[in-house]
Amino acid sequence: MASVKELRLRITSVGNIQQITRAMEMVATTKLRRFQDRAIASRPYTEEIAGLVSHLAGVLGDEVQDNPLFRKGAGSKTGVLLVTSDRGLCGAYNSNLFSDLEAWMSERESDDVDFFVYGKKGYSYLNGRGYNVERFIVDPPLESVDFGQAARTAQTLVEAFLSGDYADVYIYYTAFQSMVRYTPTTVQLLPLEAGGDEGEEQRGGDLILEPDAETIFESLIPRYLEVRVYNALLEALTSEYASRRMSMKNATDAASDMIKMLKGRYNRLRQENVTKDLLDIVGGAEALR
Amino acid sequence: MAGLTLRVITPERVILDEAVDSVGVTATDGGMGIFPKHAGMVTALEPGELTYKTSTGEQSLFVAGGFAEVRGDTVRVLTAAGEPWTEIDEERARQAEARARERLSMSRAAAKQDAVDMARARASLQRALARIRLHSRRSR
Repeated sequence: MASVKELRLRITSVGNIQQITRAMEMVATTKLRRFQDRAIASRPYTEEIAGLVSHLAGVLGDEVQDNPLFRKGAGSKTGVLLVTSDRGLCGAYNSNLFSDLEAWMSERESDDVDFFVYGKKGYSYLNGRGYNVERFIVDPPLESVDFGQAARTAQTLVEAFLSGDYADVYIYYTAFQSMVRYTPTTVQLLPLEAGGDEGEEQRGGDLILEPDAETIFESLIPRYLEVRVYNALLEALTSEYASRRMSMKNATDAASDMIKMLKGRYNRLRQENVTKDLLDIVGGAEALR
Repeated sequence: MAGLTLRVITPERVILDEAVDSVGVTATDGGMGIFPKHAGMVTALEPGELTYKTSTGEQSLFVAGGFAEVRGDTVRVLTAAGEPWTEIDEERARQAEARARERLSMSRAAAKQDAVDMARARASLQRALARIRLHSRRSR
């Protein structure tokens, strides 16, 4: 049985931990809100770009197949952009992604997959497993990513795809569904799939296209890919912070429970000691009489 | 008599959502004016100036390329970045210009080892020059 002093020390240290986890929870909440706001702010742009793409794809019809980004790549390898976190203490955020990835990888040869990684956690995981890391994107860190940097990452992937080493390129990230639900997700980035939104193609009737549909389409597609990468990164960040907030909240609650339990034990023990001391004093006084 | 709605949209935020009388854009084929009752149109833009007239006068924005779409009475401009000309950071643009020029001369020396870098540097040079031009013309 722990002594009163030991119990008091434990209560203090658990209290300190609780303060830290509570602070981290609040930080995560603020950051979470910030990333959510950014995701919402990017929505009009995303929707417009996607609308234009489907419209132009409708105008061009089968001609979209002439664009190399719509055709399977010349190579045999698969490129994967893996989005993980730089820091831990975010619950099962990374390990969920990894176990999902593991299942995905079991269907293919690990030599045929090259990774482009965001986040230290992902990098050390892939290294430990002996997977090919083609590029570890550290500058800038994922957390301070802006559209320009996401665009550059997208361009890197497009370039890798066009260089002829890859058959296809995927993004592996955690999709944000709600504050308590975030699921590992794979989306195919390249080659693009034509004619996803057939129903939309004739909205707005005939459009004048300047200079012409092909030219616009050619400069539009890279923008579209940039937006998809940007959104995947933002969503991963949102999931990360939602997950971190949850696990920090759980830690804070667990600390509360623990303190309650320890306090109970501490008070009982203290009371026992007081009673024992009293009995000693009374006993001593009796003996002296 | 504002007959058009102009929306300038970037991935980070919606810069502008206003009722305007007319819009002027820098398309890849040159300057283009958009007035009410314009036919539906999609055009690619060069980095450059976007002007619009409202009842209070003419305003000017810098847009870093992108697209302009006219549908009904709405003009949507989709661009990676943009700002009112008064917010152009000329110093930064000049630095970007110098950086891009340096990179271009370097890559030329290294014999087109990286075509992407070249293209990026060229695009960045174009943006910087467009910003500087717009800023100096307007601030005169």
